[in-house]
Amino acid sequence: MAALALALAAGGGPAEAAVVEFRRMQTHAPSVALPSDDGAGTSAWTDTALPAAVAPHGETPAAPRWYRGDFDWAPEGGPPSPWAVYLPFLYQGGQVWINGAFAGGVPEDTPALRVRWERPHLVPVPAGLLRPGRNRLAIRVGAGPAQTAQHFPQVSIGPVAELQPRADRRTFWVRTMPQVTVVVCLLVAGFVLFIYAHRRSEVLYGLFGLASALWGVRTLTFVIERMPVEDWQRWRIAYLGATGGFVIVLALFAMRLAGLRRPVLDRVLLAYGVLGPLWLWGAGADGEAAVNRLWTAGLIPVGMAILGLSGWTLWRQRTVAAAVMPLALATAVLAGMHDYLVAWNAEALALFLPRWWVGQRIFLLHYGADLVLIAMGGLLTVRFIEALTSLESVNARLAELNETLESRVAQRERHLAENFERMAELERDRAAAQERQLIMREIHDGLGSRLFTSLLRVERGDMDGAQIAGALRDCIADMRLALEVLSPDDDFQAALGNFLFRWQTQMLEAQVMPRWSIDVPEDVLRLSRQAALQLLRIAQEALTNVLKHAGAKNVRIDLRQRGGHLELEVSDDGHGAQPAGQGAGRGLANMRARAGQLGGTLELRSGDGGTRVLLRLPLAPPGDRDLP
Amino acid sequence: MPTKVLIVEDEPEFMRRFSNAVLNDPALSLGASVSTGRAGIAMLDLQTPDVLLVDLGLPDMDGVAVIAHAARHHPACDVLVVTMFADDDHVVASIEAGASGYLLKDASAERIVASIHELRAGGAPISPGIARRVLERFRTRSAMGARTMPAAAPEPSPLTPRESELLRMIAKGFTFETIGSLLDISPHTVVAHVKKIYRKLAVHSRSEAVYEAGQLGLL
Repeated sequence: MAALALALAAGGGPAEAAVVEFRRMQTHAPSVALPSDDGAGTSAWTDTALPAAVAPHGETPAAPRWYRGDFDWAPEGGPPSPWAVYLPFLYQGGQVWINGAFAGGVPEDTPALRVRWERPHLVPVPAGLLRPGRNRLAIRVGAGPAQTAQHFPQVSIGPVAELQPRADRRTFWVRTMPQVTVVVCLLVAGFVLFIYAHRRSEVLYGLFGLASALWGVRTLTFVIERMPVEDWQRWRIAYLGATGGFVIVLALFAMRLAGLRRPVLDRVLLAYGVLGPLWLWGAGADGEAAVNRLWTAGLIPVGMAILGLSGWTLWRQRTVAAAVMPLALATAVLAGMHDYLVAWNAEALALFLPRWWVGQRIFLLHYGADLVLIAMGGLLTVRFIEALTSLESVNARLAELNETLESRVAQRERHLAENFERMAELERDRAAAQERQLIMREIHDGLGSRLFTSLLRVERGDMDGAQIAGALRDCIADMRLALEVLSPDDDFQAALGNFLFRWQTQMLEAQVMPRWSIDVPEDVLRLSRQAALQLLRIAQEALTNVLKHAGAKNVRIDLRQRGGHLELEVSDDGHGAQPAGQGAGRGLANMRARAGQLGGTLELRSGDGGTRVLLRLPLAPPGDRDLP
Repeated sequence: MPTKVLIVEDEPEFMRRFSNAVLNDPALSLGASVSTGRAGIAMLDLQTPDVLLVDLGLPDMDGVAVIAHAARHHPACDVLVVTMFADDDHVVASIEAGASGYLLKDASAERIVASIHELRAGGAPISPGIARRVLERFRTRSAMGARTMPAAAPEPSPLTPRESELLRMIAKGFTFETIGSLLDISPHTVVAHVKKIYRKLAVHSRSEAVYEAGQLGLL
């Protein structure tokens, strides 16, 4: 701000050569449109210092006013340089008259159009209007809105070349900067509100965006210089709302930043912010001055409160970031107060600041507010970066955690796989053990018992050579059967095939005609090894009996499925087996025992027509059949 | 002219039984009975018998070597391998080496003699177990062949669908008569098929051995 002041001061510094600075002028406010002649009617003209501000007189509407002053002009050697009149400001427009001739003007209010010129004016003096020697400059100031002071600046007249830089400088600060500010504010507001729209939890961003938007709207006052009369009132209401709104939003922002949550206070502030515009709307154009004095003034305490709050935040947090906001706000508040006084009570301000500054009527608030917006933006950006950084570190930690987790899971899985492997091995061992059991039992029950019985009988001398041979053949048959059934690679089908082939050959050699009938679907023929063994044993026993005792010519072997049972029927046309005889009896008991083991039944019918052995085994449901 | 039989068997009881069976049949003549593989090979070369009865469990060498020798040098000689079980793995190995059939060790004298005669008459003893194993052999062989033998090597001739079907039915336990009636051919044709299958198996294994020897750079 100091740099700003210096820059502006540089413009208003020591006068360049040939530039005439009017520090005093005569003013008169007749109702006539034209000034009177030079020198005549001087009583109506009063001398006044510049810059001048004419306070409003009660209810009387403002009227145009004239200022006049004299200056000397001498033609230079060489081509004449163009002269111009420099007016730092002329809010209501007006006219420039040189030596009683119209030189140039700035549009004033018309019934259709309201004006408010913020920019400086450089009114060129047409060549030929200037006379060597004394010249009279008269400037008419347009009528302003009622109840507002009429301002007139320090005027300068001189070569365009000397005055142009001044005009440019002022234009830049007073017009260009606000234009830029409007654009930037509205753009930033757009971005930030977009962020807010997607992240409703970030209220600070929302407030910031709102503040930026409001400030953009408010700054338009320095940009909009002409407006149709119908819209003027609406515009002023919008302007008021934007100004007040900005302060209110700032208050809310400061509260949120401090961590203060007072919903009641929020509502009060919002109500106050709406109050001003509503009041103006109701009061009409004339009410503007009153509204401004009272309501706008009421924003100053709010500003002070904001200042206090940020100071408190700083004291509590003691970080650089916490200092930024209070400083910016302090600056803004001071700027606001400055502007208020410039606008409404320049005299009071003159107590603190040099008069030339006050006369310049530079409004600082919007630079102060820009500072505040920058501060807010900066804070939020820092926050944003912090959030991202912390997010990154959280992500990194998460990735780490994930890796650890994954490696743990992999470890777990390995353990599980190992366990499964072990279990499978155990299962295999168990199955193998079961098989061994089966084989051992079979050797014990089948072959074993036969050998033992035969041994006893032979030692007793109860068997002749042929009988011994027969017993040994039976043993071999048993062994063959066991090997066929218990062979690990083959299933029941294979064992059955082997069995049929073997017995076919044997029966044919014994001159018995065998006939087979196998009427069972393939999937049913999946018997457990135990069941297969017992079934074929019984069949073998029956066929052995047929060959040994029955004296049959034909044998029928049927294997079929009836309901839930598997039926094996061996029938021959021999002369029937005698129930007497050790071998036959034992064999039968054996067969019945085996059938019982499988949960089945054995039926033996023997007579003169032949013998019939019927074995019925219950079939397990499809799922169980593949058990060992 | 009686069929000359050479017996190679190291168990004295079995040797006696076989020898007696042959001696008691006028249509057969016993060339020699030896109990070691080396003696067997020597006798093969010396006597050139019509039928060779060989046990696989010989003390000095694997009976299969004797069979291979016979197949190479005395192709006119029919080889019967003696086995306890009709579906031994060794039986199929013998057939691959060139045997024409098997004989059960506990066969009666009549059975022994009948087997020899059947063999000479063109029969081919086969059991369900052998049929199963032959099928397996051809399956693995063709799978291996597809993978290991390039186009240049002699293509192993796989089984025709009919032959596979035949083997499958034998594996189920059907007699040649039954198979003949099912396939609408005479039992004799069935037997001829089995012989052909045996020969294929032998050729198969021989050509594969040649190929492998070639691969190993032995030839």
